[in-house]
Amino acid sequence: MYEKSLLILNGSCRKNKTSYIFAKTLKERWENTGNKAEIIHIIEYFDGTKDLDSIKDIIKRNNIICLVSPIYVDTLPYPTIWFLEKLSTEFSNLLLYKRFFAIGQCGFPDVSLCESLLGSCKCFAETVKMKWLGGLGYGGGAIIDGRSMEDLGKKGKKITHALDLALADIFKDKEISSKPQELLNIKIPKLLLYPLSFILNYRAKKTGKRYGVSDLTAKPYLK
Amino acid sequence: MKSVILDAMEIENHIEGTLKELLIKKNESFSYFKLKNMNILPCRSCASCCYKTPGKCVFQDDMPEILKAVANSDIIVLVTPIRFGGYSSQLKKAIDKLCLIGMPLYIVKNSHMLHPMRYGNKSLLGIGMADGDIHGQVENFQQLVGSNALNMQLNHKTLVFKKNDTLHKLETQLQNIYQEVFQ
Ligand SMILES: Cc1cc2nc3c(=O)[nH]c(=O)nc-3n(C[C@H](O)[C@H](O)[C@H](O)COP(=O)(O)O)c2cc1C
Repeated sequence: MYEKSLLILNGSCRKNKTSYIFAKTLKERWENTGNKAEIIHIIEYFDGTKDLDSIKDIIKRNNIICLVSPIYVDTLPYPTIWFLEKLSTEFSNLLLYKRFFAIGQCGFPDVSLCESLLGSCKCFAETVKMKWLGGLGYGGGAIIDGRSMEDLGKKGKKITHALDLALADIFKDKEISSKPQELLNIKIPKLLLYPLSFILNYRAKKTGKRYGVSDLTAKPYLK
Repeated sequence: MKSVILDAMEIENHIEGTLKELLIKKNESFSYFKLKNMNILPCRSCASCCYKTPGKCVFQDDMPEILKAVANSDIIVLVTPIRFGGYSSQLKKAIDKLCLIGMPLYIVKNSHMLHPMRYGNKSLLGIGMADGDIHGQVENFQQLVGSNALNMQLNHKTLVFKKNDTLHKLETQLQNIYQEVFQ
């Protein structure tokens, strides 16, 4: 085993979207330090296309684990919670004293929406007796929608810098400092939320029309 | 007042019996869903429910039963073991699909961007069963129920029990909290 090998869990059911872009960037930046990193997609274990038992060897060869996950209804998605439950009930002996950190990203710009997800990751670490090294939240993941950091220009550079700083802390076995989170925070003046909603509503209606749907407000289950 | 109860408890407990007794005594109508017996598929984030079939998932599972009840209810009650300071996967399989009650449109309320709800105002009661002494798990659970309430624009209350709480405590607290929610 390498001294500092990083396993990145993609918690999204979409294998090539925003969570993956964060995971891929983490992997590349970590490998630049001369260490190993690998990414696995939780959804493949949930769907049974990968055997859950094969996770044993993967955990054994890595000593740091990072979960990158989208927010679904304010916390981790169902398959991701299922996976953490499996880890804690079936493989917790393999996780003992390994390092754990997490990145949550959500659709809305408000980064505080990531708090419950990161709190759950911390509780998971304590449950399986891993060392919690902290978490980062990113609001606005829906706008990234799977585009690479290079394609994102200045924004991509800022995110990459934030991830570099976080990885430097992780490398030193230190809890992630406050600086990376400060870089990831998006400051949208409250008044701008109104025109932003207006534009997004316009776009949503246009998308609906493209599918021949003119009423997005349907109530199919109302008696 | 109509209640929908989404029960994700995995082990024997008194919550189901006490809740049902309470609601029958009050002559309130309710739909009780034992989630572990239900086939609910995960959300694949395909966005069909937003733009192609608004409010409906294109994958066939048992969720429409729950959605019918939720659409026509006043109170949603969640019952779950507190898992890593949040919901168990059994509860989360239904919660992820509650996205269907939101519209793919945007409003601003109290400085938060939110999706308007299809089926109007309701109340949310989150009941968690705490096991072990993981630091911060109860607070995180309470925060999660609060965030869901903000997200879905619901009034909310939370109630946390410990595994070894007495039946009497459970009955009294459930009765009190239900009283508050009904008011
Ligand atoms: C079922 C579902 C629920 C979601 N709930 C939230 C939410 O509560 N808050 C939020 O800001 N974004 C929410 N989102 C948006 C996703 O977090 C966001 O689009 C994210 O960037 C998707 O990550 P991915 O591209 O890695 O799949 C939700 C998306 C889905 C599909």
